[in-house]
Amino acid sequence: MEPPAIRIQDLTRVYSARKGFLFNEVVRTEALRGVNLEVRRGEIFGLLGPNGAGKTTLTKILATLLLPTSGRAEVLGLDVAKEAYRIRPRIGLVLGGERGLYNRVSGRENLRYFADLYGIELAGRDRRIDDMLQLVGLSDAADRRVEEYSRGMKQKLHLARGLLHDPEILFLDEPTIGLDPKSARETRKFVRSLVAGGVTIFLTSHYMFEAEELCQRIAVLTRGRIVATDTVAALRGLVGGDRTIELEGHDFEDAELDRLRRLPGVSRLLTEEFGPLERITLRVRGLEVDLPRVRSSLPGRPQIEIRERRTSLEDIYLDLVEEEAL
Amino acid sequence: MANASGTRLRALSASTRLAFLSFLADPQWVIPSTIAPVVFGFAAFELYRYAGPVLVLEAVLGAAMMSMWGQTLYGSGWATGQDRELGTLEPTLTTPTPYLWVVSGRVIVNAITGLVGGVLVYLVVAAAYRRPLPVEQPLTFAVLFIFVLLTLASVGVVLAAVYVYTRYAGFIQNFGEFAFYIGTGCMFPVILLPFWTNPIALLLPPTWALDALRYATLPGYVGFSWGLYWDIAGAVATTLIYIGIAGTIFRRVEQHVLESGNLGDY
Amino acid sequence: MTVAHRASIWRTFWTNAVLAPRMSLGFMRADYVFGSVVIVPLTQMVFFATVASLAGNAQASVGYVVLGNAISTVTYTSIFSVCQTTDQEKNHGTMEHLLVSPANRVAMYLGRGVIPILVSLATVTVGLLYAALLYHVSFGGANFPFLALSIFLTTVSMVGFGLFLGGVALFFRTSIILGNIFLFAGLLLSGVNFPLSFLPPVLRVAGELFPLTWGVAAIRASVAGAGLATMLPYWGFLLLGTFASLVLAMALWGIFERRALATGSIVRF
Repeated sequence: MEPPAIRIQDLTRVYSARKGFLFNEVVRTEALRGVNLEVRRGEIFGLLGPNGAGKTTLTKILATLLLPTSGRAEVLGLDVAKEAYRIRPRIGLVLGGERGLYNRVSGRENLRYFADLYGIELAGRDRRIDDMLQLVGLSDAADRRVEEYSRGMKQKLHLARGLLHDPEILFLDEPTIGLDPKSARETRKFVRSLVAGGVTIFLTSHYMFEAEELCQRIAVLTRGRIVATDTVAALRGLVGGDRTIELEGHDFEDAELDRLRRLPGVSRLLTEEFGPLERITLRVRGLEVDLPRVRSSLPGRPQIEIRERRTSLEDIYLDLVEEEAL
Repeated sequence: MANASGTRLRALSASTRLAFLSFLADPQWVIPSTIAPVVFGFAAFELYRYAGPVLVLEAVLGAAMMSMWGQTLYGSGWATGQDRELGTLEPTLTTPTPYLWVVSGRVIVNAITGLVGGVLVYLVVAAAYRRPLPVEQPLTFAVLFIFVLLTLASVGVVLAAVYVYTRYAGFIQNFGEFAFYIGTGCMFPVILLPFWTNPIALLLPPTWALDALRYATLPGYVGFSWGLYWDIAGAVATTLIYIGIAGTIFRRVEQHVLESGNLGDY
Repeated sequence: MTVAHRASIWRTFWTNAVLAPRMSLGFMRADYVFGSVVIVPLTQMVFFATVASLAGNAQASVGYVVLGNAISTVTYTSIFSVCQTTDQEKNHGTMEHLLVSPANRVAMYLGRGVIPILVSLATVTVGLLYAALLYHVSFGGANFPFLALSIFLTTVSMVGFGLFLGGVALFFRTSIILGNIFLFAGLLLSGVNFPLSFLPPVLRVAGELFPLTWGVAAIRASVAGAGLATMLPYWGFLLLGTFASLVLAMALWGIFERRALATGSIVRF
């Protein structure tokens, strides 16, 4: 049976740093604490998490740039710790951003250099580079120095480089960060087209709508642990419902909150304060509770603002991260 | 999937090409490593000009050698430092090519640009004082000049590897320059130095190569070894040792990067 | 909410003297200071002293060369590092923030010379110690107060010249090349390794425009025990050179600011 694209078992990673005047104090930081995960072939898998959650560490381990402290990580059935040189030709890494390119030479030269490092067949190399440049829409700028490129063009060149050797898995780190809306939309469309071609995508992003739009499954990583892995629909169930009702008003009393909590289908009640304004968020399962019913449970407040929307990935993410922090 | 079983020599050639193109995009960087040797060449010439023609030739030759060394010393730091600065380390390390081959290509270009610098120094000093360098054995001289470059490149690769490990690359560059000029006897025979420094000098491949070059250039030259061929043998032996050391250090560097994940942080 | 603020020339000067170099300049690192102060004077001195001993030139004896090199090592910090002051601001992307601040430009710029002056003083002192201990250069007849004043004025003048070069570097993409040229020019043009009389007339004039030339001459004279009448012209030239360098530096800074405002070219330079 074909192994999954990625399989991770009890993975940990501890960073040690020496500090102090005589460097005699060792500070240990646990970046990953027993991560378990499986990514299927041909899916777009999203890894979400706050800053410092361990996303970069996990991506680096899978991209053979970092060794785990304990546990096991396999990419295409190969052990990242022992078989890095067999994994590398089969994966692509797109870190994006302004850095990571040779600025003093052209985009084409950048691609040619990496084509040679990947050992792409000489006979087809130049054609492959042309194809990649065309695919990302950089053909016209191919012979200009990278230092003259806009941020969006650099991002496209990162993508072209990551795909140059036709990888089976592509690690994408924040692929649309800093791009204008049109370029970002084009990039997302492009990523979807890759999956249609059989590439597995491992995506890390801070843009929830992007992950929701692209990813078939999502894992939420916080404080070095995976707190949930599933489809967005299934994650909605995990955080208490696919509907969200929000109420905004002043000085809600405990009795009012209790009444809201006891409404049928309400699985969760969250309160937030915005200066003098208070916002109550209800996660709701099923269709039993609607807006008139919520309003009728707060009879003394005719002016209250109530709205309903679908529970977004951002809601799910914030619920899971906050839960873990408690 | 495209054929990804790239040969190491192809990676070496790609790295050399890219480094050369980058140099051509900004060739002014040959100046910093050339200006010091030009000045030292002039200064040494002024001091040697009344001490006989052989010493004058030695000054010109030494200045060229110092220029090549300067380019090697600074270029080696940049060979690994550029990946930190440009953020290209991660994409490079995720290719199937060992990092040693990538760095070696850059060091070769440094050595070649060092050669340009060396020739420049020779031309400037020789033209300014209207003293062309009469070479004893021109063919041997030309071959040995390339040979000097290879010995410098071998030191350059070791330096590049060391620079990965240490956050004091700039320190070594800035302050190792004169130490090398002294140690390899660029401007004077190493026997003039205290005896305890001689073993250090003999462990540096360029010391042997430079001595060989002088045998081929300076009439009646008597160096520290038994002759030209002994110098060549010494240079080959020490160069091979340096290449071996470089290979070992780079394997450890890659392992170190994988374990600590902090190459970019130095 | 408003935050009370009061422009203070002294605070601007002090922050730029102490904090700004730590943030933007490599030479504030302990290893660099150790290298500049302890290693470079030694290696440079050994190199040229060995060349001088082989040459056997009476006008450029080992003692002459050793003393000259002890002083010339001041250029590493005063020229090369100070020259990069503005360069680093451009590389770090902090130049725009400096330009929009209301800080007094003169105080800001002069403040950056304080630490380099201290490092330079230490470098020359260590260099002179090497000369005395390793090459037995005699200080028996030296006029020590004059020597101390000459060293001080030389370092101040060299740092001033470095600030001027930093101003010139504002108009270039990098200051490294400019810094390198002037870093080593002193070894040739300033009477460090051989008397200026060895040089062709054109180069001799160029050397006289370089403050290191007057500094080397002043220190050589004070080591030889020269009197006030001999020293005053040297000190005068050093002070004049410092003043001229700083005026030119501030003028260049002003031109750069005006040009940057007109063309939006801070980053492009």
